[in-house]
Amino acid sequence: MEEEQQTFVSKARTAFHSAAAKAERVLLDFKSDREDHDKQSSPNTFTGQQPEAESPHTDENDSKLHSESKHIKWRPPHLGIKQDWQDKIKNIRRGRKEVEDTDKVGDASMAIPFYDDNLYLLNVKNDLEAKASEAMPSVEGLTAATKDPIPPSSVLKQLAIAVEAGSKAKSMKDVIASPGGSSPARERAGLSLSAVKALVLREKEDKLTSEFTSNEKVVQLINSLFDPEGDFLRRKIDSNLEETAMTSLPRDIHGAPPESLVVKLAEILGNYKTLRKMALFWCRVVAELRKLWFEEQYLPGVPQDEIPDLKSCLLYQQFQVINCCISRKRFRIIATESLDSMMMQANSDIKESTDCSAEASASPVLYARLNSGELVLRLGADHPAGDMTLLETGEPVYSPITQEGPLLTEDLIRETEEFVLRTGSVGAGCSQLLSDMQAFKAANPGCILEDFVRWHSPPDWTDNEASTEDSDVFDSGEPLSARGQLSRRMQKEGNLWRELWETSKPVPAVKQAPLFDEDLAVEGILNAFEEMHPSDLFGQLFVSLLGLGFGIAEPMLSGNSDFSKLFYDCKEYIITACQNNKLNEKVDGLVQVYETVEKMLLNPEEALKMIKQTEESTTVTGEPRSPFKRLSLIFGGKDKLLRKSVSKDQTNDEEKSGRQSFSSFFDSKSSLFGKKPPKSGSPSPSEKSSIDTGWPVV
Amino acid sequence: MSSSSGQSSGYDLSFKILLIGDSGVGKSSLLVSFISSSVEDLSPTIGVDFKIKTLTVGGKRLKLTIWDTAGQERFRTLNSSYYRKAQGIILVYDVTRRETFTNLSEVWSKEVELYSTNQDCVKILVGNKVDRDTERAVSREEGLALAKELGCLLLECSAKTRENVEQCFEELALKIMEAPSLLEEGSTAVKRSVLKPKQESQASQNGGCCS
Repeated sequence: MEEEQQTFVSKARTAFHSAAAKAERVLLDFKSDREDHDKQSSPNTFTGQQPEAESPHTDENDSKLHSESKHIKWRPPHLGIKQDWQDKIKNIRRGRKEVEDTDKVGDASMAIPFYDDNLYLLNVKNDLEAKASEAMPSVEGLTAATKDPIPPSSVLKQLAIAVEAGSKAKSMKDVIASPGGSSPARERAGLSLSAVKALVLREKEDKLTSEFTSNEKVVQLINSLFDPEGDFLRRKIDSNLEETAMTSLPRDIHGAPPESLVVKLAEILGNYKTLRKMALFWCRVVAELRKLWFEEQYLPGVPQDEIPDLKSCLLYQQFQVINCCISRKRFRIIATESLDSMMMQANSDIKESTDCSAEASASPVLYARLNSGELVLRLGADHPAGDMTLLETGEPVYSPITQEGPLLTEDLIRETEEFVLRTGSVGAGCSQLLSDMQAFKAANPGCILEDFVRWHSPPDWTDNEASTEDSDVFDSGEPLSARGQLSRRMQKEGNLWRELWETSKPVPAVKQAPLFDEDLAVEGILNAFEEMHPSDLFGQLFVSLLGLGFGIAEPMLSGNSDFSKLFYDCKEYIITACQNNKLNEKVDGLVQVYETVEKMLLNPEEALKMIKQTEESTTVTGEPRSPFKRLSLIFGGKDKLLRKSVSKDQTNDEEKSGRQSFSSFFDSKSSLFGKKPPKSGSPSPSEKSSIDTGWPVV
Repeated sequence: MSSSSGQSSGYDLSFKILLIGDSGVGKSSLLVSFISSSVEDLSPTIGVDFKIKTLTVGGKRLKLTIWDTAGQERFRTLNSSYYRKAQGIILVYDVTRRETFTNLSEVWSKEVELYSTNQDCVKILVGNKVDRDTERAVSREEGLALAKELGCLLLECSAKTRENVEQCFEELALKIMEAPSLLEEGSTAVKRSVLKPKQESQASQNGGCCS
């Protein structure tokens, strides 16, 4: 009690950032003596590594935050000037003339220039309350956000951070096991801390994981995400005006259709504050997918029976395969039951037909009569094949129910192609052809190869004119060649078709060995989900959410004479950037472009002002360049800086990367806003610092 | 940059070509005629087959991986995966069978639109079997009109007499090289194959062995 009070007072006096205070408590936990405490405290403050030191004790800090929150409430004297605080805050906001910043950390940073003791205390209180209540996204929170025309850029930004951080991680499991940092430096520190307190940390991590997955908000989000009837995360999309654009943009950038499961997942994950929680939620999603597959329930927001769309992202293709496999399993069950009931019917008919042959003809069971007069059951017959009749028996030809081909996502297509190139295998084609032959034989007793060819490959059969006359068809004495003949290539010696035909047995499709094993395919996909690299997952989600925002914005802005030019320049930029394979280097630029579109929708006056300033700046330099070229120049420069920073030594990676990133960010903003730095400059430190300080928030 | 891998001769660019069209129009004969000058009757293709050819066009050494698909309807879904990332697509019809020409616009161009993931891919229309002039059912003018509609070249040829056979593939390769994005893909494919010299060499050998 007294110690806590003293700590709080000390913090208030020195005006340390809350993160610094947390660092102090963390260091005290190690029970270092006073000298070591001072020594370690100083380097941390200097290098800005407080979040790293904090991370092993996330759970403990949370409880202390709550305790501290209670402590704040015990100071009734400050309540008296509450009105003054509110007035000051209103003045600050009015002066900025900007949309309220929903990120509390950013707000706290903005307050620094106006610091005084009472205001600081209020902000600390708000900060703690915000962390407690907003740490976990909820169904209510996300539903409220859908009132915005497009997803907030903060959500996309969080996904961008995850893409960049994820590219440095080894695997999703590493992200979950990581104490919370995302940089190599933090990971190393985390490891050393684990070495010191391995057992304690392991217990805490397990506790955190189980707490997360059973958290009420997480469970509700999962239920809403997978509710087939719900309208969770549905936005107003003007589908009349730009229907083609709405469907083409996601495919141009290799994203996912609007309102699909992928896009909704992207929006949820983008609301989590740490990479670790994003990873934990994804694992929870994979568990739910396993459950749905086991129960043979369709995934909502994904077509139920479509082959993979290779122009969408791989994640969406894989969801399509899962649903398609469910459809196929359901169909096979129905077809098998139908065949079995037909055979039972046939058995009972046989007993009755010994007495009366008319009985057999009346039943729904299909028979074919052989030349010997024997009736043979047709198995797996689907529908008559036009007016074709079997050459030898004269019976109608039935198209059989056939097996469907493989469901291949883009990665499996590449593997299949490489396999064929490497081995020269034509196995897939032969397997399907053999399967078709067996199904055809089962459905058409008494058939010959020529009958199959007439059905499967019509150009390889030539009818003789005489065969069109009924009398010739039923004249058993007429030689086969009089009715028609196979093509020369089909008659050729060594033709594989004839060899396969001789090999095939009459087996209906549903009784054959499967050409494509649904269980194997989906198990492969679910395993791939568990092993998916973080940058692959978050990259696809980032692109999908980007496509949604632009798709919704297009009909709103395309008719606006002030903004349509800039909007289409932005759209062209994202299409070009996303078709390139180096997404990691472009996410920051894409976020800025998205923010521009968001501004055009939410704050058109300021956006208009920005455009005019850009035009004035262009005019002043005397170079008539299009806004897109300016954007390309700015974002291109950003990419180069990012590329350089990535190539730096690991030991300097965090510091220099942050420094250059901040510098280039400021330069970009400065260019965008032209010659009014005092006004436009102020948002930059806020937005950037919110990114930097975002990581400590757990 | 010039590259080489394993036992293969060096080449600058690597492109994927796809042959499509109705069954029996002569796709396999066209390919075999181009590769080896053979003109014998070929059994109907089952599923998909491929051959690899190296040639020099426009001063560049090219490696073409040419995928030959079975045209029967039952094989259509199976072969749809081979459209992925093809830089060139050859749509073949038989000038003596009008139905095969009609199906190019009613069936095959729709397949291309549906399955091709390469927006810039180059298409070429090929009318085969012009050696059977007395049986011709589709005029050259009709072919040109469809080619214009589909936005591609037309070449009439004969796999049997080898008339225009090499021109088909060379014209296609030249058109592919004119597209910057396809040129980049072809160059990238070469660089990638350098990393797997053993596999690449094996593929080349298998290409030669395939019937």
